[in-house]
Amino acid sequence: MKVSLNWLKDYVDIGNISIPEIIHKLTMSGLEVEDSIDEAELYKDFIVGYVKDKKKHPNADKLSICTVNTGTEDLQVICGAPNVEAGQKIVFAPIGTIIPNGKFKINKAKIRGVESFGMICSEAELELSNDHSGIMILKQEVNIGKSIVKELGLDDAILEIAITPNRSDALSHIGVARDLASIFDKGFHLPEISIQESTHKVKELASVEIIDKINCPRYSAKVVQNVTIKESPEWLKKRLTKIGLRPINNIVDVTNFVMYELGQPLHAFDLDKLEGQKIVVRSTEAESVFTTLDSKERKLPKGTLMICDGEKPVAIAGVMGGENSEINNSTKNILIESAHFNPSSIRRTSKALGLSTEASYRFERWVDPSATLLAAERAAQLIANLGDGEVAHGALDCYPEKIKEKEVLLRFDRVSKILGYQIPKEKIIQILKKLGLKIVFESEKEYRFLVPTYRPDLEREIDLIEEIARIYGYDNIPTISKISISLGEKIDESAFEDTIRDHSCSLGFYEMVNNPLQKEQFASLTGNKIQILNPQSLDMAFLRTSLIPGALGVIAQNLNVGEKDLRLFEIGNVFNQNFGKEEIKSFDDFTEVQKHIFILTGRINEKMWNTAEKPVDFYDLKGFVNSLIIKISLDNVLNDSYYHNEDSIFDFYFTKNYDKEEVGIGGKVKKEVLKQFDIQQDVYCFELDLTKLKKIKANPKKFVEPLKYPKSIRDFAFIFDNYVTYEEVIKFIKKSSSELLKSVKLFDLFESESLGKNKKSMAFSLEYFSEERTLTEEEIEKDFNNLIEAVTKNFSAILRGA
Amino acid sequence: MLDERIKKINVDFNQDISTVNDIKQLEELRLKYLSRNGLVSQLFDELKNASKEEKPVLGKVLNTLRNDITEKFNTLKIHLDSLEKESVEKYDLSLPSFERTIGSKHLLIQTLDEIKSIFKGLGFSVIEGPELESDFNNFGALNFPPDHPARDMQDTFFINSEFLLRTHTSPVQIRIMEKTKPPVRAIMPGRVYRNEAISSRSYCVFHQVEGLYVDNDVTFAELKGTLVAFARQFYGENLKYRFRPSFFPFTEPSAEMDITCFLCHGKGCKVCKHSGWLEILGCGMVDPNVFDNVNYDHEQYTGYAFGMGIERTALLKYGIDDIRVFFDNDFRFLKQF
Repeated sequence: MKVSLNWLKDYVDIGNISIPEIIHKLTMSGLEVEDSIDEAELYKDFIVGYVKDKKKHPNADKLSICTVNTGTEDLQVICGAPNVEAGQKIVFAPIGTIIPNGKFKINKAKIRGVESFGMICSEAELELSNDHSGIMILKQEVNIGKSIVKELGLDDAILEIAITPNRSDALSHIGVARDLASIFDKGFHLPEISIQESTHKVKELASVEIIDKINCPRYSAKVVQNVTIKESPEWLKKRLTKIGLRPINNIVDVTNFVMYELGQPLHAFDLDKLEGQKIVVRSTEAESVFTTLDSKERKLPKGTLMICDGEKPVAIAGVMGGENSEINNSTKNILIESAHFNPSSIRRTSKALGLSTEASYRFERWVDPSATLLAAERAAQLIANLGDGEVAHGALDCYPEKIKEKEVLLRFDRVSKILGYQIPKEKIIQILKKLGLKIVFESEKEYRFLVPTYRPDLEREIDLIEEIARIYGYDNIPTISKISISLGEKIDESAFEDTIRDHSCSLGFYEMVNNPLQKEQFASLTGNKIQILNPQSLDMAFLRTSLIPGALGVIAQNLNVGEKDLRLFEIGNVFNQNFGKEEIKSFDDFTEVQKHIFILTGRINEKMWNTAEKPVDFYDLKGFVNSLIIKISLDNVLNDSYYHNEDSIFDFYFTKNYDKEEVGIGGKVKKEVLKQFDIQQDVYCFELDLTKLKKIKANPKKFVEPLKYPKSIRDFAFIFDNYVTYEEVIKFIKKSSSELLKSVKLFDLFESESLGKNKKSMAFSLEYFSEERTLTEEEIEKDFNNLIEAVTKNFSAILRGA
Repeated sequence: MLDERIKKINVDFNQDISTVNDIKQLEELRLKYLSRNGLVSQLFDELKNASKEEKPVLGKVLNTLRNDITEKFNTLKIHLDSLEKESVEKYDLSLPSFERTIGSKHLLIQTLDEIKSIFKGLGFSVIEGPELESDFNNFGALNFPPDHPARDMQDTFFINSEFLLRTHTSPVQIRIMEKTKPPVRAIMPGRVYRNEAISSRSYCVFHQVEGLYVDNDVTFAELKGTLVAFARQFYGENLKYRFRPSFFPFTEPSAEMDITCFLCHGKGCKVCKHSGWLEILGCGMVDPNVFDNVNYDHEQYTGYAFGMGIERTALLKYGIDDIRVFFDNDFRFLKQF
């Protein structure tokens, strides 16, 4: 919200405080000044100039060559405005001046071959209005050569303040002034109201009835007769334009002025258009349609609070008036509405209609119910003072159940318990009194305060403590430099995933962070998807069911920019609706689990002068997964299963299992799936369920003494039938050997016609040793030979090189 | 007799040394002539048997022989050693190496790690919570009344009327307090969602770290002290800071913490919107209504809470001007950090 410092000064005595000090203290008390314009600073270089002469520019139709007198000299200035004429007094920007709109500096320039020594300004360039149709022409009374700051009264400061949702009272000049009074401990006063009223009694001219008393606790109104709708006087227009409002006519401008002065939104009805000169406030009983004063037809839900006349709705309460009761140039008599509506009701209506106005913004945050009459009277007074109407005697004020001021108890020791600092009692009392609170009870240890109705946010002791702290200044509360920490157990729930992260990096993977919101097609690939009720777009309408689609998206994007060898990982949550659940009604209806993904594509080794190129394959993937599992000591706890399954997103894949429960799955991604992402090269990925892994108990690490005795190595190679798997052979070898055989490694594998059709050769290296003694050649030979015989027999294999 | 042998050994040595081509052969030569059992030593042994008259003469000749042989040997050794060195220099050490890849954590996670480690040092636990939350945990329990404009501060993605994607990590506060009795001292990092248009300044998904401390005598002064300690460790010892009153439904008094802009050192620049200050976190004393909602006695216990955005923190720290780079996962970006 924009406020004018000069306007504020009407209510609070801060004349001798500097602008930077005011800005700083406002910000530091919770009314954050986000931006400010100090006019005296902004306009310091502009002067009043006099156009002595105007000639046509020889090389441009629309440009003029003007001679501008600056009080001390005559300068040649090129001007493009259609309205510039000799004899005018204008705003002149000499060389070096910075123009507010665009923040550019005026330099000596040559325009179409003619030199120019400054600029004649428009209101838009000065940011005084949006008018850029021509230059700003000044009244003849202003003095040539003098600063426009003095001559035009540009001595205000405009502050843009961010008002938090709890501070409805600060959405007006009065509200901000009240805070300033408390901050600087200065005098504060409301505008004085005295109205010259006519002999016509208001009660004979109009009436008010509230039917929905819950949503409209108070409705006040004044009637002004014989109004002349016309342009507002300069002072009023200036006040409004300074805070960014566009003047419309005297009545609208006065209602806006009062809203920004007192915070009370007003609405002016054309009294003669109100059937029976009657106001009835009630909520709609069915869905209906209503045309607002912006000529738009609005669909109103049942229960919308409406202002009606004797027979029909004439305004959507607190949001916008109706076209049917709008004032126009022929309006004679007006009724000024000043009401207090239930904030929730206005907010619901505003949300339902998707229509937020300055009025609804304030009503949904709370408007002071005690000040409705004051605001109506203030508006009437201003209209009367402008000489633009006659105020009827008295006011309509329907207030069936008075909203009481709340009493709040403040214990002084509680202030220091919360803040950790003892603010002097006198200071506390002074702050609260300046904010408008009244003392109703006092003792040594506690005071009871009466809170004015414009502060609905002050209901509890803690609310008062906040007021005290913010006005006293958070900076004045000490920053302690010692803390005490309890020695209870500390937990780190992120430790497991962090370990996985570290290992993933060690294995050469880079971490991704993907958006969990994705399109239906991707979320459907891997699970039972959950939909967002109000998505931004169809591309982000579902929650991811696995990390795979997001990771494939990243692969595709990087391939596009020429990054073809990729090794990436991600840790993140995935979401699945439980099968058989129609809707999510509790945390039992869906799962949210943390997953980890490895994804690889391209080459694992690039071609170098001393190494050959190697594309990523399934065994690289498996190797990375196993390395990770070994590192977290789950290698003896988990087992693998291998699949060539048609209805999967993988051509072939493997799973990691704990007992029979799957804790990870991955393999070579199918071409059909890759096609959906526009990926042309092979991709391998594996997804682990960290939520499950975290719960599995790893084998505790034990010290193993380094081997003291030598190892013996024996190699053999067999020709097998092609269908015999490595896993079968290795299991058989381990089963058939004595405990002296400690490890078996496949070191060669090939198929060749020389071996025979559907045959393959596998060569193994066997490691024998004992922790207790040196083995003899004989016992190793015996075991080795037995093994050869057993393998030959069991697989009908042929020992090679025999 | 000995005289003859000396002459012969001299001739033999000269013959042998002329055939030596490498260090290995030279070593053989040394063993043959100059080792303890070598030919020269044998001659010295025999000298003992020579007559008194012959001894000095032969001794002199023998010494000359030994010196002569040793000198020739050493000269050749130096020569051969230098040849050996030259052969080492044949390697072109400038050839490119094959660098093994060590991957890296995402920049956001690195930033989070730094924050976590500071707070762990200050005695905080690290607790996590779900992203798909109930409306109650995300809003109701945190003192956001229904139909209240405070809800507009956080544009929400809804699943339905009761479930949503959490808009902040604050619901984890509720989860901890529902499970644990005070003292509670924890940070809660995590991913949050806001239904805001995607631009260089905002993204619909981002990360926060929440903090909570509840005990018998937790004060606003301690909140300030703890957060200043954090900021000094994270942003630098010399920073200036300020606490500005603000509003969050779940804390009261509430504050925002600003530090002097480290890009312009408080002079004013584009990043700090010419204010000289950067807002780094929101904080405050836990609102008594929140304590009531988790059945903590708000007379006995006080507490503070704070929350900061990780993206914003990382943007500031690394001079990145578009938040979207965090979620693009461009390999060229990931490899930089």
